[in-house]
Amino acid sequence: MEKLLLRNVDKENSHTIEVYLRSGGYQALRKALKEMSPEDVIEEVKESGLRGRGGAGFPTGLKWEFAAADVKEPKFFVCNADEGEPCTFKDRVIIEKDPHALIEGMLIGAYATGCRYGYIYLRGEYPIGKRILERAIAEAYEKGFLGENILGTDFSFDLYVHSGAGAYICGEETALIDSLEGRRGEPRIKPPFPVNAGYLWQPTVVNNVETLANIPLIVERGGKWYSGIGSPDCPGPKLYAVSGKVKKPGVYELPMGTPLSEIIYEHAGGIVGDRKLKAVFPGGASSSVLTPEEIDVPMDFPSLAKAGTMLGSGAVMVLDETDCIVKTALRLIEFFRHESCGKCVPCREGTDWLVRIVRRIEEGQGTESDLDVILSVSETMENSFCGLGMAAHNPVASTVKKFREEFLRHIKLGRCPFRSG
Amino acid sequence: MTLEEFREEVRKLKRSNRYPADRSYILPALWIAEKSFPAITHDIMKVIAEELGVRPVEVEEVAEFYAMFHTKPKGKYIIRVCTNLSCMLNKGEELLARFSDLLGISPGETTDDGLFTLEVSECMGLCDGAPAVTVNEERFLKVTPEQVPEILKKFGWKG
Repeated sequence: MEKLLLRNVDKENSHTIEVYLRSGGYQALRKALKEMSPEDVIEEVKESGLRGRGGAGFPTGLKWEFAAADVKEPKFFVCNADEGEPCTFKDRVIIEKDPHALIEGMLIGAYATGCRYGYIYLRGEYPIGKRILERAIAEAYEKGFLGENILGTDFSFDLYVHSGAGAYICGEETALIDSLEGRRGEPRIKPPFPVNAGYLWQPTVVNNVETLANIPLIVERGGKWYSGIGSPDCPGPKLYAVSGKVKKPGVYELPMGTPLSEIIYEHAGGIVGDRKLKAVFPGGASSSVLTPEEIDVPMDFPSLAKAGTMLGSGAVMVLDETDCIVKTALRLIEFFRHESCGKCVPCREGTDWLVRIVRRIEEGQGTESDLDVILSVSETMENSFCGLGMAAHNPVASTVKKFREEFLRHIKLGRCPFRSG
Repeated sequence: MTLEEFREEVRKLKRSNRYPADRSYILPALWIAEKSFPAITHDIMKVIAEELGVRPVEVEEVAEFYAMFHTKPKGKYIIRVCTNLSCMLNKGEELLARFSDLLGISPGETTDDGLFTLEVSECMGLCDGAPAVTVNEERFLKVTPEQVPEILKKFGWKG
């Protein structure tokens, strides 16, 4: 398929405004500001069928419509560039290689929703991205795409980078807002949703990097064109970040709904050393595992939900036959324990207990009844305050369900069968 | 940087007028402190609190919450070795052990000469280059245990 989101990334100095302008950059902004009303822009995005690429898959046009309908002023437009889901690195590519696509997407979104100020909430682990974004923002001010009366219209918009400092929870939009307000990142109760009560309790749109990079394309070529790409009920191009035991790890742009097997074997080159595939997490660390028998699934939100897992951030993590599933589950739940903010009991205690139990199984001290305890703790964690806790048990519970034999082998052998000695 | 120079930096930050609420400058101010001092001490937190009109504890709770802020002294170079899934599958833990052996410190510790702090990192989004290591802001990708001495020497390790 024609490269859309990655159309610029291979060009030399793709991060500079000169290269972006030469490639037709900021034409969509011009079109939106000069030829379209904010309502027209929202209609176009609604027609495109674009769903948020951060993980939740909420329809972007609808979110914008809610924000536009709120009359409180000022409104804020925030880009969620906290990309913290383990093994997700798709937004990094846009941030570092095509930052102006992101800025243009934000500008169009801010115009459509009536937002006066914007922040890019960038994870602290991306210092190179920070320099690139700040430079890109300065360039955009210089050329008159940011600031007062943009392109001679009434529309004004100021944009800043706000650096996080190493907290996965800040990818959750309300925790992100807390962090933007200078607090510990802890999620807030919803509703009210950020579109009505976000930053400083003012209307705030929060969109993911990849979501926003789609916007100039939609405005330029139309929502109808966009809705024809990929899965009909969840259209558009999608960036899949593939890593783990594949020959060619990387970010692949493919139509939404591309089968997982095609992504692994055709695009990412298959399994390292031509070994056998063992398991795949199709949507980041918080998605449920899939077995080799399940990989014909189309990679889109509804298909993966039907398969009992989720698209999440679209991070495909591949394990081969030599990898230990128990150790994998342990590493992922250790991550969630570290990142749990501690606000609610099911997540704080649940992640801690899962680490203890899975660790003792990996170390050969587990019992068969531990497996039932894991599933019972997981069920309780469904009642967590926010999505972190609700999903954190997925890699553990799903591996226990689908690779029960391997857990039992650890228990019966009294050690990890994949570890030598 | 002296405390008074730092105070001036925080004031400069405020004058940038980036946020409608002073509280929002807490993280940017802590970032300046993180980059300018070996540790974010109570004295530094107090300066931030005074300039932004919040209580010192409100700065401290933020400084303690985020993994990348150091409230205890750190080395000149922070080595972050990722051991999250893709790096783990590609032997990130062996790399960590190698760094630990050569430097004679455990993860979380700083060498006696104050040059290196070794940290186990959660995912840094460099999974296409697993296993990944960063030293301050510099990236090292697809690192093998054999390359570890080379990396350390680049930052003044005498071995």
